[in-house]
Amino acid sequence: MITAERPTRASRVACYSLPTLIVPLTVATTAMGGRLIVHLAAPAGDGRAKHDARRLLSRIGCWADRLSRHLEASELSALNADSRTRVPIGPTLAAALWAAREAADESEGFVDITLLDARLAAEGLSFAELAAGVRRSWSLESGPRRTAVVSRPPGVRFDLGGVAKGWLADRALVLLSSWPSAVVDADGDLSVRCRAGDTWAVALDDPRADGATLAIFHLSAPATGWSVQWGVATSGTSVHRWRRGEILHHHLIDPRTGAPARTDVVQATVVCGSALRAEALAKAAVIAGSTDGLALLERAGVKGAVILTESGETLALPQTLTLLAG
Amino acid sequence: MTKPSSASHAGSPGRLDELFQVPGARPDPTRARLVLGVAGIAALSALITAIAVPPAPVASTVVNMPTAPTMVTQQRPIVYVQLTPGQSPPPGATVIDAKAPKPITIVTRVPAPAQRAVVVRTTQSGKVIP
Repeated sequence: MITAERPTRASRVACYSLPTLIVPLTVATTAMGGRLIVHLAAPAGDGRAKHDARRLLSRIGCWADRLSRHLEASELSALNADSRTRVPIGPTLAAALWAAREAADESEGFVDITLLDARLAAEGLSFAELAAGVRRSWSLESGPRRTAVVSRPPGVRFDLGGVAKGWLADRALVLLSSWPSAVVDADGDLSVRCRAGDTWAVALDDPRADGATLAIFHLSAPATGWSVQWGVATSGTSVHRWRRGEILHHHLIDPRTGAPARTDVVQATVVCGSALRAEALAKAAVIAGSTDGLALLERAGVKGAVILTESGETLALPQTLTLLAG
Repeated sequence: MTKPSSASHAGSPGRLDELFQVPGARPDPTRARLVLGVAGIAALSALITAIAVPPAPVASTVVNMPTAPTMVTQQRPIVYVQLTPGQSPPPGATVIDAKAPKPITIVTRVPAPAQRAVVVRTTQSGKVIP
């Protein structure tokens, strides 16, 4: 046995001077069943900024189409329809699947892209059921010119979901390297670059009321230093959900059970170094529940995390307070 | 060679003895022995103090950082006491299982945001299925 005195809860004693926030030039489109937006720190009428943003949206829109399970012509749909256990795939899907393996590692296994059939079963769209607690392993081998070969057990189908959004946001930000302060918003998962001295204000949606804001993050880079890259992502059970009989189901499948996660977390938001990682950790925190989820986020060394629970509590790790605008 | 000032006292007998010392004569060692003895006792005393007396506990202090955005003032008195068989925990201690996860600090009061128009938002994705 160990005796331990629990740490005292933190108290807020702040005064906060408001920084000068970026008023961005924004260009938006739809992709992946949601919004795809580029924000650039540029004057409203900047022609080069608009041109760059539109060209980027067109390009990552093409990538998104290759990774969607909803489009029959996508690379992912072709892989899912392929009956072979070893399937060669193209560079875009290969990069996204490598990202999925990284997300699985980062989330301590809570992110698992092989749960498509379990999710469809939960939605009532498929009769396939995943055996409880069974993890289905798959692997990737690098091929020439950034292609790869996927190996998986027969019948395993993939759903990239949030992994694709996080990866696309990060990849798109790399393509905007000529813009020192930029944000790519892949349906709520953000990849943010901040030039030294700049501050992006990022609002965190409150799912309890339309248009409400739970908190505002101020993401900045020190005035004397390098630019800083951030990833911000939100995951939860209160938007993408449905009712079967008397029971509300949601889309976040617990890989330990193969069923929608039974959790006290309604929504989790994570701030860290990349959108892919933030998305994976936010999803893991929701599935794991508030106690285990916050412990996981602390182990992961995130820069900030805010969790909203079923009982209406808003919980955060202490380091989050330095990011929050008062 | 002698200095001019010394030469001015050359007439006194004591000074002559100093200037022209007889071979075999030695200065009086009493004063040097006294000084060495006192220094030795002081050094020994310091050594004994450092070795025999246990160090006093270092008091923890909460430092209030002067910079504005510092929002957390907290103590983290996480004290683990490994009990050997037969021992009981100190009065008032919370006893947890050895396999229980390490307690973490959770902030329960997140500041309400000021009502400001913010363009960039992070949200859950997906749709409500009827």
